[in-house]
Amino acid sequence: MIEVKSLQKSFGKVTALNGLTFSAPEGQITGLLGPNGAGKTTCLRTIYGLLKADTGEALIDGIDANINPLEVRRKIGIFPDKFGLYERLTAREQIAYFATLHGLDGEAGAAAVENVISRLGMDAIADRRATGFSQGQRMKVALAQAIVHRPKHLILDEPSRGLDVMSTRILRDLLRELRDQGTSILFSSHVMQEVAALCDQVVVVASGKVAAQGTPTELCEQTGETALEEAFVKIIGTDEGIAA
Amino acid sequence: MRSPITIVMRKELKDALRDKRSVMAAMSYAFFGPLLMAVAFYVLISQLTDTSDVKIDIEGAEYAPAFVAHLERQGIAERDEPWPAGQQPITLAIAPDWAESIATAQPAKVTLTADFSSQKQRTDIRRVESAVEGYTAQLSYIRLQMRGIDPRVTQGIDLVKHDTATKGSRAAILLGSVLIFILLSVFFSGMNVAIDTSAGERERNSLELLLSQPLTTNQLVWGKALAASAFAMFGGFLSAILIPFIFKLLPLHEIGISIALAWPMILLIVALLVPLALLATALQLFVSFRAKSFKEAQTYISLLLMAPMLVVFGVEFARVKNQILYYLPLTGQHQALLDIIKGESLQWGAMAISAIATVLVSMLLLRLISRMLSSEKVVFGL
Repeated sequence: MIEVKSLQKSFGKVTALNGLTFSAPEGQITGLLGPNGAGKTTCLRTIYGLLKADTGEALIDGIDANINPLEVRRKIGIFPDKFGLYERLTAREQIAYFATLHGLDGEAGAAAVENVISRLGMDAIADRRATGFSQGQRMKVALAQAIVHRPKHLILDEPSRGLDVMSTRILRDLLRELRDQGTSILFSSHVMQEVAALCDQVVVVASGKVAAQGTPTELCEQTGETALEEAFVKIIGTDEGIAA
Repeated sequence: MRSPITIVMRKELKDALRDKRSVMAAMSYAFFGPLLMAVAFYVLISQLTDTSDVKIDIEGAEYAPAFVAHLERQGIAERDEPWPAGQQPITLAIAPDWAESIATAQPAKVTLTADFSSQKQRTDIRRVESAVEGYTAQLSYIRLQMRGIDPRVTQGIDLVKHDTATKGSRAAILLGSVLIFILLSVFFSGMNVAIDTSAGERERNSLELLLSQPLTTNQLVWGKALAASAFAMFGGFLSAILIPFIFKLLPLHEIGISIALAWPMILLIVALLVPLALLATALQLFVSFRAKSFKEAQTYISLLLMAPMLVVFGVEFARVKNQILYYLPLTGQHQALLDIIKGESLQWGAMAISAIATVLVSMLLLRLISRMLSSEKVVFGL
């Protein structure tokens, strides 16, 4: 369970989060939908404790990352805003590095790494160095790093950007599978199709606040629109920064 | 479960060992430093012990064939080829009234024209002078003996020269400059790894994810520092063990220098370099974790490298002597190395204190870095 309670955060004069409150329960995919600059990345970074909120709190299973960051980070898998790979390491070594940081070493670690490699269909690239990987291959490595330790919470920051159809499908299937295993998944996006296709619950964020919340169908009903995109535009009152 | 420090260190070492640039940087400085010394000393020695003929211009040789023959026996010959560009000719001019002066027991006039400030020609000029002086002495002996006088009356004082410079202390001057190479090698060798694990991490956008893993920034920084200082140490180790080998190859005995560095002493040098390697890495990480890119970090670090150079060269050439130098980081190791090489008694206490001081300063720096990495301002460059 990921809970965000009245988060407030400003950088200088810019208010990034302005009393953001929502929760992402277990066994559900929660989409954080908002235009560019709405505060999505700031919110996610606050949840895993890289940023400190001015007021309010972000809890993972009731634990605040600002108070006990290590405990929180053990419980989550992160697919960050920027994911750079270590060009001189092979895909397997990168994944193993993050597995050991989560305490998975020795045989258990090797098994977990092997497991995630075959789940993501990465056998062909597993022992190649990351130099020359395509965007899709890089995404798979980053995704594998995020889930290798089987976290109960998964946080993804715009995971599908720059991916082709096949990679997007793999990602969606994986997220659904993890959801069915009881993982609470929170991901941010500004891509409407993806949110509509995947999310059990949508949190629309605009100017650092929750503008609307509910299932995709509920959002459409609330606004009296048939398409989620139109509903979204109506909710935030502008079509700035939206990708169909 | 393994400690996160070990995990990070192992990963960084594996990563760095695959980076040819880092390995080359660590090796090349360790190799080129001593090699440069070797070439410099080789040139120095061959200049000092040059016994080939000095070729000079002799004007009026026909007036004094005996004198010219004497000069030739002393290895000073008439020059046939022109002087190389940039070299002032050395000219010895014999006056036409030579025979008359000799016959009447007057001083015969011989003029030596040369650039006496020229560093290169100094030994040549010196040899011409002493050959002329030798001939003068012979002449006076003969003149006095012919008049029935003991030639020794001309010697008011018999100056006996005792050179108290031991071979070891002469070597110390030479080795002082070698020490600088050993000390600086730890600063140069780990540099690339230090930059790559800090500014490089930021440049390739992997810092955010790494900081979101279940390990403290302190563990992260220590893991990286240990990996980079392993490289620094490797460079220091290489240059420390290479330098005695190079000295063995050089004909140092020809200029009266003997350097005998026993293996226990070399091991002691290596041990002294260990805390220094940690300090060098801590300084480099401190600077380059603030940089946004590899290039930026390189700029900062090359400025930073001036600091240890200035300190060591300053102490070396200004001949600063103060007991406090023995206790401080960097200067402490420098002084201890000087003592080792001069073969003086070692100040074990001071050595321990400077080692501890070095480690403490490094720990403080690493603590500051981990504080820095906990700050969102530094991490996201806000």
